[in-house]
Amino acid sequence: MEKSQTARENAIEVVGLTREYSTRNFFGGVARVTKALNGIDFTVKRGELFGLIGPNGAGKTTTVKILTTLLTQTSGEAFILGLDVRKDLYEIRRRIGIVFGGERGLYNRVSALDNLRYFSDLYGVEPSVARERIPQLLKAVGLAERADERVEKYSRGMKQRLHIAKALVHDPELLVLDEPTIGLDPGGARDIRNMIREMQKQGKTILLTTHYMFEAEELCQRVAVISKGKIVALDTPSALKRLVRDISVIELRTYGATTEYVDALKQLPNVVRVVAELDSEVQTIRIQSPLGADLLPQVMSALPLDAKIIDRTIKEPTLEDAYLRLVEE
Amino acid sequence: MGDLTDLTPGRRIDGYTARRAQVLKACIVLTAKLFFADPQWIVPSIIAPFIFTLVAFFLFGGEASTGSFLLYLVLGSGLMGMWGTTIYGSSNSIGFDRWNGTMESTLAAPIPLSWIALGRVLFNTFEGVINALFILVIGLAWFQVGFGVINPGLFFLASLSTFLSLSAFGLLMCTVILLSRKGGFITNSMEIPVYIATGTMFPVSILPMVALPFAFLLAPTWGIEAIRLSALPGYTGLATDYWVDLAVLAVETLAYLGMAFVLFKRVEAYAKRNGTLEEY
Repeated sequence: MEKSQTARENAIEVVGLTREYSTRNFFGGVARVTKALNGIDFTVKRGELFGLIGPNGAGKTTTVKILTTLLTQTSGEAFILGLDVRKDLYEIRRRIGIVFGGERGLYNRVSALDNLRYFSDLYGVEPSVARERIPQLLKAVGLAERADERVEKYSRGMKQRLHIAKALVHDPELLVLDEPTIGLDPGGARDIRNMIREMQKQGKTILLTTHYMFEAEELCQRVAVISKGKIVALDTPSALKRLVRDISVIELRTYGATTEYVDALKQLPNVVRVVAELDSEVQTIRIQSPLGADLLPQVMSALPLDAKIIDRTIKEPTLEDAYLRLVEE
Repeated sequence: MGDLTDLTPGRRIDGYTARRAQVLKACIVLTAKLFFADPQWIVPSIIAPFIFTLVAFFLFGGEASTGSFLLYLVLGSGLMGMWGTTIYGSSNSIGFDRWNGTMESTLAAPIPLSWIALGRVLFNTFEGVINALFILVIGLAWFQVGFGVINPGLFFLASLSTFLSLSAFGLLMCTVILLSRKGGFITNSMEIPVYIATGTMFPVSILPMVALPFAFLLAPTWGIEAIRLSALPGYTGLATDYWVDLAVLAVETLAYLGMAFVLFKRVEAYAKRNGTLEEY
């Protein structure tokens, strides 16, 4: 069944993958065609932890759906463990595990144990193996004590840990983690990241999609940045960060900063980009500029009278800075 | 927390029949657990049967009614309950995954969706049988009729065959739900016409000619005939033989199954092309 010569090395091979969505008019004719993926190529090596990052609507979920055989591509090819996603879907499904982010994917009115037993049977795990493996998994994800409780009583973090156990129940070779830490509190997200590391230690190949750049930077060996259906960069996190080595980042923590202040900062000469989180009581503003600390006097003078800077730091650019440059270009 | 690196290695069942049996068992067990986890199970299983029996009593139950006719009514009420539960439960068995957010997980499983649906439909039909039995018990007690079926063996065979035909029909209905998010409207609206067309409450022979082809294409029509022929003394109905009814029932059930499996394959492929299956 192995289709590709490189299948022994690569767990995922994607060549010219394109996916179009058509909207139909009242008479059934095609009104509009949207290209969600526009001929993307990438490979993921066996045992690698590979990140796919991009803004909403960039094509991450479409890619994941095609690779997990839930959606058919319009053109191009994709191979998982050497198997064609169009033709060998059941064999692929048997050998991969999927973690969907958010609240999807679990039967809330029954227990964690019932969920795992059901999915274990669906994936064809031998009952004698399942009897050993399910309690081990529940213990490993910290749910053994509450395994008999209905999932609807679980916190968001517990549900996500159960998702991990569910994805591992049939001992897959490859894991697809679609935004696994979305909506989790910092502690819950850290638990999940630790589990991802452990899974990689077991030799599993992992494809991770995430919105959180620090997560991709912390976990992934290589990262593909996808924007408007195209891969705009693919490299290690440190190599991607070198794309923005010409800039420094001034990070401000402020009280009372407004959108007007952010707009004023954007107008300053030599400011490349300003990213602000203004929703909370203490605001965080990141200013990218080649001037670094030399820009500080201008930053301070633009500050409104009733606003106050709590803290200011000059930082090296992160993957997020590189990402922003890539997706905005 | 424990260690994810220290787990018993996974091992799979590979045989075709063993795999499908495992999936059917898993789906039957999960559907049963989900069913009883919701307190609303009392409505279709206890309240609805009681109402069916009550309606039948007020419509037909009078002093002039003979024991045989009352048994006819009780059987009809039971079959109505069985049909109602099957059509509702079965057609929604996969639709449930849509609004529960489990459609992607179900679709991602390494087994054709038709087998997952079949397991769920089998439980829902079984629940329909329980419903029918409940009606039967209430009806017999209410009308004070003895359950004197003329041939218990043939009665059991006809009931079992009708159970299987309802499951096959339920599976066919599942594909409608898969095709469209509004599929539930179609399957629910079929409930009453099918009560009439299959002759649950009055003989099919009194239906207008134009309705007869539809009635004959419904396998439960033949199942109900066979049940009545095996239960009621002197029953003529469509004037067919018990074994002819059972043969037609078998052929139509197999046709439903065949159509359902083909449709499932096509619907799955269609939905994968359009990316609509998990939308709700």
